Amino acid sequence: MFPKRFVLKRLLLLVPVLIGVATLVFSILHLSPGDPALTIAGERASQEFVERIRADLGLNDPIWVQYLDFLGNVARFDFGESYVINRNTSVREVLSDTLPVTLELALYGQLFGILFGIPLGVLSAVKQDTLTDHTTRVGALAGISVPIFWSGPLLILLFAQVLGVLPTSGRISSVYNVGAIRVTGMVTIDTLLAGDWDMFWSAVRHMLLPSLVIGVYSMALISRMMRSSMLEVVRQDYMRTARAKGQGAKITVLKHGFRNALIPVVTIIGIQFGGLLGGAVLTETVFAIGGIGTLLVEAIEVGDYPIVQGTVLTFAFLFTLVNLVVDVTYSYLDPRIQQ
Amino acid sequence: MSSRDESVSRRKFLGAAGGAAVTVGLAGCSDNDGEDSDGSDGSDGSDGSNGSDGSDGSDGGDDTSLLRYGRGSHSATLDFQNSTSGEVAKVTEQIYDTLINFEPGESTLTDGLASDYSLDGETASLTLKEGVTFHNGEEFTAQDFEATYRRFVDSEYEYYAGDDYVSAYGPFTLGNWIDEIQVDGDYEMTIQLTQTYAPFLRNLAMFAAAVHSEAAIEEYGTDLSENAVGTGPFELNTLDDSNEQIRLDAYDDYWGDGPQVDEAVFVTVGENSTRAQSLASGELDIIDGLGAQSSQQVESADSAELVRTEGINIGYMAFNIAAVEEFQDRRVRQAVSHAINTEAIVNQIYAGFATEASQPLPPNVLGHNDDIEPYPYDPEQAQSLLEEAGYGDGFSFELATFQNPRGYNPSPLQTAETVASNLGEVGIEVEINQQSFAPFLEYTAQGRHDACFLGWYTDNADPDNFAYVLLHPQVEESELTEGQDWVSFDTEGYNTSNRSAWANQEYMDLVEEGQQTTTESDRAELYNEAMQIAHDEAPWVYLDYAEELRGVANRVNGFQIAAISGPYLNLVSLE
Repeated sequence: MFPKRFVLKRLLLLVPVLIGVATLVFSILHLSPGDPALTIAGERASQEFVERIRADLGLNDPIWVQYLDFLGNVARFDFGESYVINRNTSVREVLSDTLPVTLELALYGQLFGILFGIPLGVLSAVKQDTLTDHTTRVGALAGISVPIFWSGPLLILLFAQVLGVLPTSGRISSVYNVGAIRVTGMVTIDTLLAGDWDMFWSAVRHMLLPSLVIGVYSMALISRMMRSSMLEVVRQDYMRTARAKGQGAKITVLKHGFRNALIPVVTIIGIQFGGLLGGAVLTETVFAIGGIGTLLVEAIEVGDYPIVQGTVLTFAFLFTLVNLVVDVTYSYLDPRIQQ
Repeated sequence: MSSRDESVSRRKFLGAAGGAAVTVGLAGCSDNDGEDSDGSDGSDGSDGSNGSDGSDGSDGGDDTSLLRYGRGSHSATLDFQNSTSGEVAKVTEQIYDTLINFEPGESTLTDGLASDYSLDGETASLTLKEGVTFHNGEEFTAQDFEATYRRFVDSEYEYYAGDDYVSAYGPFTLGNWIDEIQVDGDYEMTIQLTQTYAPFLRNLAMFAAAVHSEAAIEEYGTDLSENAVGTGPFELNTLDDSNEQIRLDAYDDYWGDGPQVDEAVFVTVGENSTRAQSLASGELDIIDGLGAQSSQQVESADSAELVRTEGINIGYMAFNIAAVEEFQDRRVRQAVSHAINTEAIVNQIYAGFATEASQPLPPNVLGHNDDIEPYPYDPEQAQSLLEEAGYGDGFSFELATFQNPRGYNPSPLQTAETVASNLGEVGIEVEINQQSFAPFLEYTAQGRHDACFLGWYTDNADPDNFAYVLLHPQVEESELTEGQDWVSFDTEGYNTSNRSAWANQEYMDLVEEGQQTTTESDRAELYNEAMQIAHDEAPWVYLDYAEELRGVANRVNGFQIAAISGPYLNLVSLE
């Protein structure tokens, strides 16, 4: 049964969280040095020109008026118009261009992490203290320890330069006009929808290294967590009971152990998703994929306030949403949590 | 014919390894482009031998020729009136035309949409070409220019793009100087100026002075930032903000030379080293925004070549004469100029991709004084000048600098540290104040610095664009103090682009006269003299003129590197 009340309660909790984040972002931006009007106007502008822009943006209003305006707009998911990066274009539109890029990357990374992390964790637990276990654990440790800005370039060097089998950067070969077939903004999906296999193949090849780089980290975390959680579960009374009743080892592990061992792993997957979004900044930079991470960094650098605010709030929203999904999954895995 | 080389030469491997190392060092900071975000840009030519299909080229299977141009940042607007950014200019130069053009690779003028043009006193007369069509099929006439101009600067005009939309180039290059435009028929036009202004024709050659179609202005309004209707060699296919690509198709009815390819695409690759790798592996044909390290990567690639030319820019350190008493003595400014080892900065820190500067005007601009040599590095001379000025025991000041690389200063922090250590040797203590670029500009425009780094990429390759814009205070005569060569930043109307507060009467007179003199040889003399004063009085420490650098794949033919305007993609063909 779908836990309606539980979800509703959690959704309402989103409101104060987002207001808090919005206030924080607003304060930080307005306390930091740099005049956005000057940034927009550029070095060639006269004082008068800058003044006109400042008035136009409402930057001369008292700070609390600006704050209330901002909150009011945020409530309607209106983050204003970009100052510099995509001048006069609504932040919503800019985000709708860049968010799918990052989401696609994070999703493939997550998929990679789950598909490999969970089986490896289970394997490691079942074969505790064997060579397989040790190899997996060392591998996981290495996966966590290696920074993306090191592994990324090395993989590019190996696969694109030395072996020459994968492309260096980007999301798809520049031969293809993927902008013309845009539906979701995720190239692997759009090319598939368009039914163009050459394009799809190009998109997949471009996606391999970035999702590997970003996914290794989450794979490492997931497999470690899966292993220890599995070991914990294996020692539980109900497992011994199942065995004592003559159930086969395989079924015991998969049916009774696995589902219970997943609970802490789901937490990690949830938290990890936030980490993936953060890791996307580095991965996007290394592989020249212009997603929301690079957008945020650029916006901070050039003082594009509306973009910074919109991006951070979107991050916060996504993160809390993922946490909500995690909680709901919990309650499905362990109905006691709902109470 | 091209084929992928499966074997890996040592050189290629090292080049790639170097790239990986740079990426490691730079990842995490977003824009290491090293390119100034304004002014001009160009591209280059190289001969071709054999092309290289990289790993990626192999998966595109059609026969149309596609030219791929890689750069550090995407430009989200297609409207030249909407931005001062050089990235925007690279694209609009392909789609739009100006009335007057720069000769590709030169700073001289040639005809564009106007077949004839002249400037006589306060009047510019232009005859326009007939039979030129916009991409929407409309014929180009003088009314299009008038509508374009009014959309840019005339708030009374029905289709004025709005204060929050137009860029500062509106008033800076046109609005401040144009009094009235008289259109006489479809192809004759007279522009009345507010004063004699010698650089005016060059302003008409800037990307921001290109021509929109009147019909498109009325149809799209400010949506011209996403739609583009020009008369240029390429027309818009897709503006893809999501993938940071801009795709263009050849315009078959283009009135000028070319284009010789079917399509062109601007691709964004933020990291310099990744961009260089993509060029080396055949995924890109031309790249710009190269730093020293990535230039070396391109040099070591087999399938591409590094093309370089003298740039039209200057990097400098400005003394804030109004803020620091010591700087008010010319001998101190000269002493500092002698004490800083600019030769070492240019050759070691900038890896030789720049030349030492001696004066505000770079070498390929009218009025550059060839007789002036850069201040030689001479700590002893510096010491004795300081003693003469009464500061033999030294003093201290704060040097404000931006952190991220700019074209004219690819390594600002290292440069600042060199300056600090050089000056330390003559007893001057330097405290470095580093900031990111936007707050840095604000801080220094308010005159809160003691000294600061900065630089300039030309807009129109005119001496006035350096001499007047960067070193003239532009305040009323009555605000100046007799016998004092500086004014306060707080003075009414002060030109904050002059970061040194310098106000030398003799220099100002020469530069003003230069602005009003239309004969080239006379102008050259005036600026020669002004340069001598600027050198001797040393309101800046002249650091460098940075080179323009492009990486070009071997399969590219006919590319003309240009320090202003361009890239001239219409001249390029592919093997």
